[in-house]
Amino acid sequence: MQKQVSTASKSVPHTSPGGRLYDKLEPYLFLLPAFSVFSVFLFYPFLRTIYLSFFLTDKFGNAKVFWGVRNYTDLFASSSFWASISVTFQFVLIVAFGSLIVGMITSLLTAREYPGSTIISASYAMPVAIASAAASMAFRMVFHPTNGLLNIIFGTQINWLGSPEWALFSVSVVTIWLQSGINFIFISAGLRGVPDELYESASIDGAGYFKKLFSITIPSISPTLFFQVIINIINAFQSFSQIRLLTQGGPGDATNVIVYAIYRDAFFNFRFGTAAARSIILFLIIFIITLIQFRFEKRSVHY
Amino acid sequence: MKRLTMSKKRKLNNIALVFMNLPIVLLILTPLIYTLAISVMPPSEIYKNTLIPSTVSFGNYVRAFTNPAYSFSKYIQNSFVVSISVMLGQMFTCSLAAFSFSFLEFKGKNILFLLVLSTMMVPGEATIIANYLSISRWGWRNSYQALIVPYLTSAMGIFLLRQHYLAFPKELREASRIDGCSNLRFLNSIVLPLSKPALGALGAYVFLNTWNQYMWPLLVTDSDAYRTVQVGISMLYDIDAEALGLMMAGVIIVIVPSLSIFVFMQKQLINGLMAGAVKG
Repeated sequence: MQKQVSTASKSVPHTSPGGRLYDKLEPYLFLLPAFSVFSVFLFYPFLRTIYLSFFLTDKFGNAKVFWGVRNYTDLFASSSFWASISVTFQFVLIVAFGSLIVGMITSLLTAREYPGSTIISASYAMPVAIASAAASMAFRMVFHPTNGLLNIIFGTQINWLGSPEWALFSVSVVTIWLQSGINFIFISAGLRGVPDELYESASIDGAGYFKKLFSITIPSISPTLFFQVIINIINAFQSFSQIRLLTQGGPGDATNVIVYAIYRDAFFNFRFGTAAARSIILFLIIFIITLIQFRFEKRSVHY
Repeated sequence: MKRLTMSKKRKLNNIALVFMNLPIVLLILTPLIYTLAISVMPPSEIYKNTLIPSTVSFGNYVRAFTNPAYSFSKYIQNSFVVSISVMLGQMFTCSLAAFSFSFLEFKGKNILFLLVLSTMMVPGEATIIANYLSISRWGWRNSYQALIVPYLTSAMGIFLLRQHYLAFPKELREASRIDGCSNLRFLNSIVLPLSKPALGALGAYVFLNTWNQYMWPLLVTDSDAYRTVQVGISMLYDIDAEALGLMMAGVIIVIVPSLSIFVFMQKQLINGLMAGAVKG
């Protein structure tokens, strides 16, 4: 901050003769509170994480031995890292498209007003307000192996959270539920933007509901759907509470997504260097996905 | 005649739509309804796999607050203190920064604004380790400031308010400047009162997000004195895994404030979400 202030006071032209120093500093003073927080809790720790990823650390997180890129190469050479990446991508894809489909169906079913549509819409949007931790605890009961809703209804005795075949699926269901609300809200907003005339002329041509859905609705809202998939992917990559509260990454490594692996490395094994390297890899993945989105948005502006 | 059949058709259509929605609404609401049912169910019925409680008892809610093994009311108090502080803090820092970015001219403005936007690209996980280490080094673990200070500003808040300020008529600022009104006074007595919708959106969104936080409070608190609700309800499980009803009562209690914001400030919340989701 100080640097910016001093360079600015040199070069801002004097607007009034004898213009007070304060007037020149004021814009920066207004930015100071926000930038102090950003500097201490965002810029610095981000750079620090990059730095730590090149070191071996002690258990208090102090950089001890310069390790070059070995934290990274060790990760790339370990099968458990690739297992974690693979689990993460499966989870992310199931969640991204699962919640998109739920959002699509719910917003299509409430696309026009009818008696009760307000309260139905509110129910579909509601999961946006619910904490992932609270929802996880609720689903813990739904998935309970002996007294849970799912096994009671289906008459099964499946260990939803404790068996390798079901754990990832179960955690994905919770995440789809959590994300369905935001998908509903955005896709509904997209649907409201489709001009009525398009449907009217199609109706005159005698097009049925599904014909209109696939030839008008979906193409018209495809930018919204794309944007929403990206948001779903980024959110899914960052899921933590569900994993921590429902499966702790297990059984085995069946639900050990990248974020949970970071948590395990740093806060159970005190391997802050490796954890930092994993964080940077996660950052790069999300960064690339964001760039793809920007690219696409720029392109779609020309349409 | 034709009109009548049209409206009849419309009515039938409406009824069909409601019936198509019902199973999906039920599916979405089930986890919460089921949680509520378990929380008021006599314990014996939980273990007999009953779905609908025969009698309603609020014993679990009383126990959640009175059981000496955990300080549930303290968690709630902590979450309110933290969420309200973060909310007010963001309103303060983001109003000032957004004002500077929209009403004032200064060198480096574009670069600084880009810097703000760039923070949206950094996921929390890429900073959480280093932040945890800083907090530990300063001896801030188990304190309100550890829960509050790192969240006292956000790019989303600055962005949301700046969009709102940019829509202000330029003449308003000119007129007040001629009257000798300082920037701070202009912000305080003209801009902020006219920005209630944007501040409401920011406030609802930030309060809810903070109330719903889990990972950061889990890392920086391990004493009852500073533990927040989301970590607290999972503790109910750690203390007594068999007390399913108690656990579910805890979940319901913690969801009430979130749902209240959703019900009473839905419009503001959705506006906040729309601005927040740009960040991804």
